[in-house]
Amino acid sequence: MVSVINTVDTSHEDMIHDAQMDYYGTRLATCSSDRSVKIFDVRNGGQILIADLRGHEGPVWQVAWAHPMYGNILASCSYDRKVIIWKEENGTWEKTYEYTGHDSSVNSVCWAPHDYGLILACGSSDGAISLLSYTGDGQWEVKKISNAHTIGCNAVSWAPAVVPGSLIEQPSGQKPNYIKRFASGGCDNLVKIWKEEDGQWKEEQKLEAHSDWVRDVAWAPSIGLPTSTIASCSQDGRVFIWTCDDASGNSWSPKLLHKFNDVVWHVSWSITANILAVSGGDNKVTLWKESVDGLWACISDVNKGQGGVSAVTEGQQNEQ
Amino acid sequence: AWKLDCSPSDTSGGCLSCRYHKLIWGPHSMTAGERVSGVLIAGGENGNVILYDPAKIIAGDTEVIIAQKDKHTGPVRALDVNMFQTNLVASGANESEIYIWDLNNFATPMTPGVKTQPLEDISCIAWNRQVQHILASASPSGRATVWDLRKNEPIIKVSDHNNRMHCSGLAWHPDVATQMVLASEDDRLPVIQMWDLRFASSPLRVLESHTRGILAIAWSMADSELLLSCGKDAKILCSNPNTGEVLYELPTNTQWCFDIQWCPRNPAVLSAASFDGRISVYSIMGGSTDGLRQKQVDQLSSSFGNLDPFGTGQPLPPLQLPQQTAPQSVVLPLKKPPKWIRRPVGASFSFGGKLVTFENAKPQQQPGIEQQQQRHHVYVSQVVTEKEFLARSNQLQEAVQSEGFISYCQKKIDMAQADFEKNVWAFLKVNFEEDSRAKYLELLGYRKDDLRNKVNVPGSWACVKCFAAGGCICQRTIDVIIYMHCSLADVDGLITQALLTGNFESAVDLCLHDNRMADAIILAIAGGQDLLSRTQEKYFVKMQSKITRLITAVVTKNWKEIVQSCDLQNWREALAAVLTYARPDEFAALCDLLGNRLESEGDSLLQTQACLCYICAGNVEKLVACWTKAQDGNSPLSLQVGIAVKKEVGSNRWGSYGVQIK
Repeated sequence: MVSVINTVDTSHEDMIHDAQMDYYGTRLATCSSDRSVKIFDVRNGGQILIADLRGHEGPVWQVAWAHPMYGNILASCSYDRKVIIWKEENGTWEKTYEYTGHDSSVNSVCWAPHDYGLILACGSSDGAISLLSYTGDGQWEVKKISNAHTIGCNAVSWAPAVVPGSLIEQPSGQKPNYIKRFASGGCDNLVKIWKEEDGQWKEEQKLEAHSDWVRDVAWAPSIGLPTSTIASCSQDGRVFIWTCDDASGNSWSPKLLHKFNDVVWHVSWSITANILAVSGGDNKVTLWKESVDGLWACISDVNKGQGGVSAVTEGQQNEQ
Repeated sequence: AWKLDCSPSDTSGGCLSCRYHKLIWGPHSMTAGERVSGVLIAGGENGNVILYDPAKIIAGDTEVIIAQKDKHTGPVRALDVNMFQTNLVASGANESEIYIWDLNNFATPMTPGVKTQPLEDISCIAWNRQVQHILASASPSGRATVWDLRKNEPIIKVSDHNNRMHCSGLAWHPDVATQMVLASEDDRLPVIQMWDLRFASSPLRVLESHTRGILAIAWSMADSELLLSCGKDAKILCSNPNTGEVLYELPTNTQWCFDIQWCPRNPAVLSAASFDGRISVYSIMGGSTDGLRQKQVDQLSSSFGNLDPFGTGQPLPPLQLPQQTAPQSVVLPLKKPPKWIRRPVGASFSFGGKLVTFENAKPQQQPGIEQQQQRHHVYVSQVVTEKEFLARSNQLQEAVQSEGFISYCQKKIDMAQADFEKNVWAFLKVNFEEDSRAKYLELLGYRKDDLRNKVNVPGSWACVKCFAAGGCICQRTIDVIIYMHCSLADVDGLITQALLTGNFESAVDLCLHDNRMADAIILAIAGGQDLLSRTQEKYFVKMQSKITRLITAVVTKNWKEIVQSCDLQNWREALAAVLTYARPDEFAALCDLLGNRLESEGDSLLQTQACLCYICAGNVEKLVACWTKAQDGNSPLSLQVGIAVKKEVGSNRWGSYGVQIK
């Protein structure tokens, strides 16, 4: 069920911390402790190095591709407290903006849904989350949420764009009023949901279930249903799936996906939001899927690097 | 930066009659709930080990001692809690005394083995971080002994014979069970020695970053590459014991720190206690010094009993220092980020079911061997959750490319198991064929042919006109055979079927047969003029009432019929009808006809009335003939009539006649 179709030798000189494909799946961006960000063309199983971006002075933790309607834009965040936004102009990649407003390592960057414009959320170890919005002409506006998480913020993830009252016809030509939301996970063991109201960002919800640092949060893409789903993983080895049924976003209920034996570093949803990839300690990547009766089952075990398939037997299904 | 609340709580210690040399905080029975804040274990000056309940201290109780035991002969300088079995505490004092205390059974401690000779003070003691029954103890002479508690004897003794060091700190490697560091307080040898027990004749590595003796060390459990050390050179250094490199120098004041510890909960935070009575809290993750607070914790100092590590027994006077303004600057983080924020593995999905994964294999810890160049790979995988689905999708892809839609649908129809599926594919297939609408209709089950077939069942059908059962031999098309033997319920169904297939004729016939006259007529109107006329015909055939004939004639405008076949007694009505309805071109003929009939068929009375008809018709000859017959003599009257008529109609014509009569 999971078969490796391409092995990209990145030639990074140190640990890789993130690898993301762009919107169309044609390019791969990787970042590493060797302070570089590399972009590869991976069409048809190939791997051609397009760019080797240098500019960070410390390990680069995450990269994020912006929506292609804005051009080829990539954001990267690093231990050196900087967020750099790179853009491809006339075939060459260049630094288009550098943000240094954080006091400590910036751990996570995430682009907002393209409907909102070009907005980047950055979470840092100084506990603050900054939102960089492109206002045009090379100018970026910064909004900062200080003390979003005590001790530090480890991850940010945007909610998919939902038009409020979308059942009612919007007169054409009018820009709909979106309610912008994103989730963040921090070292205070909390997952927080933030909502923009009158141009200010306010903490809307505090989700408590983890007993140690929340390492990653991922808001599931929308598939048209009115429910919202967030996955969070933590240092305590647990992965929770949070669901909210009502549109107002007030009651979130957690469901434990699984308790792993090691730190869980990363969670990622598939495009159709039905499969969750969980990356945990000891280099294990597992794929989980929700069955019709609401139970989460591991559907595959991506073996260390080989991407080998081992269909998980029934007996290995999760214990709650 | 974050807030640190160090507001001192009421520290009324119970027995403060002795001074403490060492104080540690163990988590024993925290989870059990008995002691929510764990246990404070204190090593006293007089050789006693005292257990305090910190929860009670915080609450301000007077009775805070859980237990105490006066076992050691000299000051207890070394204490450590076993991280695997938190009820075990090791203590070390003078004369090589080491006791292992079980907090559950505090009265009787055990010893790890025979005392080491020569008898020396134990300055440090530490449990192994990987193996729970291994304990190490070190003496100021620089000798370290490693004990195995299962065997109850020392297994190895480590000492650097070449150099004399005053051991002030001992710590095990967090990850490697056989490695540990010893720190020296001796100003002539201010080093940290890294030992591996497998090779115990000389240290593996010697860190010589301090200029004066080292007072305390702390090895981070979260990242084995971070070893803190503080010394008499007033520096706090963070080094990597695996490589010997100094990673960081914490900005401190000029005070010597005698104790340094990592925060167990937050791996980036450490605390340092200095001789001026301060405890400082630092973070290696950087930040600004704005939020950093240094609290003067005199009360803690007093409960420590003015700890004097040199053991002179004299309380230290509190030092008055000039207030230093903290430099407003950004504290830089470590050059290399600590292990706990370095993400080693990840996976993310991409368009088309692709999964991008990366992992970083843990490097082999081979001391002394060059690290092999790590190949850092990223794997792109294809995730297929349902193989079957993929196969089908491929087939569809082919079909779309080759435009073989009809055959693809046909295949699907053949493969389909559920009826619903079959139907769906059949419909899709029709979509690609011509005349889709008719075929859709067929698929729905309404076939024009079906109706015909139903009709052809022998015995159940008979043509109304020729009454031939089964097939029909009259001119009518097979579509309009009327079902004769049918129950009422069926008729509805048949009418519906007929209508759904657009077969008005049949529907109308069915209605008529079922005596639904109104329905029939209405449908006929919708079915076109032709159908309407035929329906009218049939209707009239069916319905026979007195005035049916008249209605028929009015509708069909067939006056000839009326005139021809009416009852002569009703000749007046007939004539009236003709007068009202007849078209100008047929009017004369009709009146003529009526007249003829009256003459030929009627009685004498009626015959005379024929004249009137002839007048209407304008048929002069006949009129005269009739009139003459009617009147035998009585010429003058005839003449008068003739002249009158002449005047009426026109002189020319009558002229000749008038002569005749005369």
